[in-house]
Amino acid sequence: MPHVRSRSVTSLATAAEAGRHQREWFADLRRRVAGGEPFALLNADVPHEIFRTMDIPYAVSQWWASLVTAKQRSVHYLELVRQRGYPDYSEQYNSVTLGSAFDPEPEAGPWGGLPKPNIVVGDASGDVTRKIFDIWGHEPGVTFYPLESAAENDIPVNWWELMPHRWEEAVGPARLDLLTAELENLVRFLETTTGRRFDESRFREVMALVNEQEEWNRKTRALIAHARPSPLSVVDSIPSVMLPQWHRGTEWARDIAKRFYEEVRDRVDAGQAACPGERARLMWIGRGLWYDMGFYQRFQEKYGAVFVWSMYLAIAADGYIRYGDDPMRALAARFAAFSDQLYTPPWSSEWYVKEARLHGIDGVVHLVSDDPRGSYFTARALEAAGFPVIEIHADNVDGRTFDDDVVERLGQWLENVVMA
Amino acid sequence: MLTALAALEEAYARRGVPPAASKDRIDGPIDGPIDGRSGARALVVGYVGADMPVELLTAAGVRVFRLTGDPESDFALGDRYLGRGVDPVARSVLARLLAGSFGDLDRIVISHDCEASLRLFYALRELGRVEPGTALPEVYLVDILHLPHRTTARYNRRRIGEFAARLEAWTGRPLDVAGAVAAHDERRRLLAAAAELRRAVPARLTGRQFLAVANAPLPVHEHIVLLERLLAEAGRLDEHAGRRVFLSGSDHDTPHVYEAIEREGHVIVGEDHSFGDLSVTGPVGAGGLGTGGIGTGGLGTGGLGTGGIGTGGTGGLGTGGIGAGGLGTGALGALAEHYHYSGPTAHRATAGERAAYAAAAVRRCRAELFVAYCRAGDEAPAWDFPAQRAALDIPAVLLERQEYGRADLTALRKEHPCPM
Repeated sequence: MPHVRSRSVTSLATAAEAGRHQREWFADLRRRVAGGEPFALLNADVPHEIFRTMDIPYAVSQWWASLVTAKQRSVHYLELVRQRGYPDYSEQYNSVTLGSAFDPEPEAGPWGGLPKPNIVVGDASGDVTRKIFDIWGHEPGVTFYPLESAAENDIPVNWWELMPHRWEEAVGPARLDLLTAELENLVRFLETTTGRRFDESRFREVMALVNEQEEWNRKTRALIAHARPSPLSVVDSIPSVMLPQWHRGTEWARDIAKRFYEEVRDRVDAGQAACPGERARLMWIGRGLWYDMGFYQRFQEKYGAVFVWSMYLAIAADGYIRYGDDPMRALAARFAAFSDQLYTPPWSSEWYVKEARLHGIDGVVHLVSDDPRGSYFTARALEAAGFPVIEIHADNVDGRTFDDDVVERLGQWLENVVMA
Repeated sequence: MLTALAALEEAYARRGVPPAASKDRIDGPIDGPIDGRSGARALVVGYVGADMPVELLTAAGVRVFRLTGDPESDFALGDRYLGRGVDPVARSVLARLLAGSFGDLDRIVISHDCEASLRLFYALRELGRVEPGTALPEVYLVDILHLPHRTTARYNRRRIGEFAARLEAWTGRPLDVAGAVAAHDERRRLLAAAAELRRAVPARLTGRQFLAVANAPLPVHEHIVLLERLLAEAGRLDEHAGRRVFLSGSDHDTPHVYEAIEREGHVIVGEDHSFGDLSVTGPVGAGGLGTGGIGTGGLGTGGLGTGGIGTGGTGGLGTGGIGAGGLGTGALGALAEHYHYSGPTAHRATAGERAAYAAAAVRRCRAELFVAYCRAGDEAPAWDFPAQRAALDIPAVLLERQEYGRADLTALRKEHPCPM
């Protein structure tokens, strides 16, 4: 039976507010760019805080890809990539956004289309990311500023305990020295090319606002982890945390993070449940399934199974907070090993186990993309800790890769393993 | 007596197998002490990746050889631990390590030349932590990066120093870096001359033979002796008159694909991967000279290319070393610079750099047909192809998503049949 996609149904006021704000922000962004302001397109894992400090308008590549995918337009953009002779099966999360640059009718894109950037910034992770952004950088009027992606031999396992204050110990000085120097150069590059100023006092304000925002997310994560039944599912938590995440360093983002906490607290206090009759608490490991967000609610009615965990709130809680007297080095510490937190064992695998225990998880659904990040050590660690794991092999923005039988397979797993 | 070519091919047939000598004796390192120094027992080290500063391994007096995969042996265990999104070469190497196919190794050192190598490092590190029963040797990452910036140069210099210090700790003796560099420079000089034999018209070496000449797993001084003999015997080498092919794309750690293409009547006279022409660099200290002095440039109509690589200089970071006290900072600085600017490999260079290299290399080796071979799980080369094709004035064909060790030549036969 063909897989039927559906939109998710959100119920949180903060999720709705974040969605409204995002539309208004994007409309304003388009006006600013049309008015001649610079516009930067940034990969998710690079320091947006510098652009925030300098008031350079920016959008996040992965956010745009998620929007395009939710509008069921990602395959169109992948076809545009293919028409240029590039592979349409490789790192789709970034290449979907590259496809926007090749669109002969960009204004036909979601929300009026992505404006053409002047600057694109990405890190040289993997074998392909730099190539994609570099190709974009050869479009007329676009400059690509790459950052390195470095690795380390010996790392302490408990990064989530070390990162807020002891990030030097967690990340290591070699990577921090490298990224700090790259960021200092980035500031100079932006000052030169945009004419905008980088104020140290403003930078410190931005960094403080980010820490405040993520601290609220940390408190929200704790509420959800301990509440039974779960007051909300990931279809509410993802927009409530991620849309503000792309605005971190603003008072709006800090304040809506606080309202998100308060709304969740009120739900917990009132005993409200995302899934009345909750029988199984599920963990979703992997990127959001943007072309079928309704997937996450498909198992609630029949099985009482609710997705209570995704990486988005949890990484906001554990992955961003950095304190310290040297804000540029603290910012480097936020991103010098960011993807390791999610994808590199032992950091990733031990963190997922910690989170599964914290949230009282009954079963883990792991989205495994056809890329080098792998899944074995994550599944192994979770299973060794007693958590059943099922893997779904698909790409999160390329719906062509999603098998029709996933829902049925997941239902059987719920019946035969999780609830057996 | 065997001809030098026959001896090199015989040695190449033993690639990826442990040194012939027992670990308990010092009698014939694969790439060991060049001055006959001896200790109680030389460490046996297997290495992975194109960015490995093999000079330091030689300088340490360890017995070292490059770990290669085998497409004809089962690598299901590699699939299991790394996932099928990783280049099958790395999956095969991991499976062979777990099967003990490389004999008794004391250490594994891995360079960050591509994502597959990095993922292999992470898998080995994690297996050592959570599955000690696998009894894998200690693994160490040499994290050489490639953005063409001083920030990266400083980072590489630090990592080279750390690796040298680690080798000293492993062996308990100082490194003879200058002597090792001189020996490897001599090998590179002789390999460059051998590469000219293949570029001759008609070619005096096939692509398959050149793989053997360049990758015979011999101690550097033994390799030098055979290369000198090969050049002395050049007049007796056969002539190979097939269609001249330039092979771009994925690395070839085995001869399978070369044999498949050359069986069709083609002769591979050049390539752009690390087991072929890209290993034939200029001497250390020549300013990070690209292969044969072929410069790199921007994509399409210019822009942000990195032209100017290889314009001289002698180890700009050679003094004032970082964290490598007493290790000969000048030589280490030159090594760091050499590997910083090695390539341009598909995994670390931009499409523009690859296209510029391909255009120059195709002219230099008078190729008549350009074949881009992209292995499934190794997606970077497919991103290069549009720019390469645009930069060439010879026919170009793309072989995408090929199985490890195999070449589906249907497109080649259909579009560019070889007049046998």
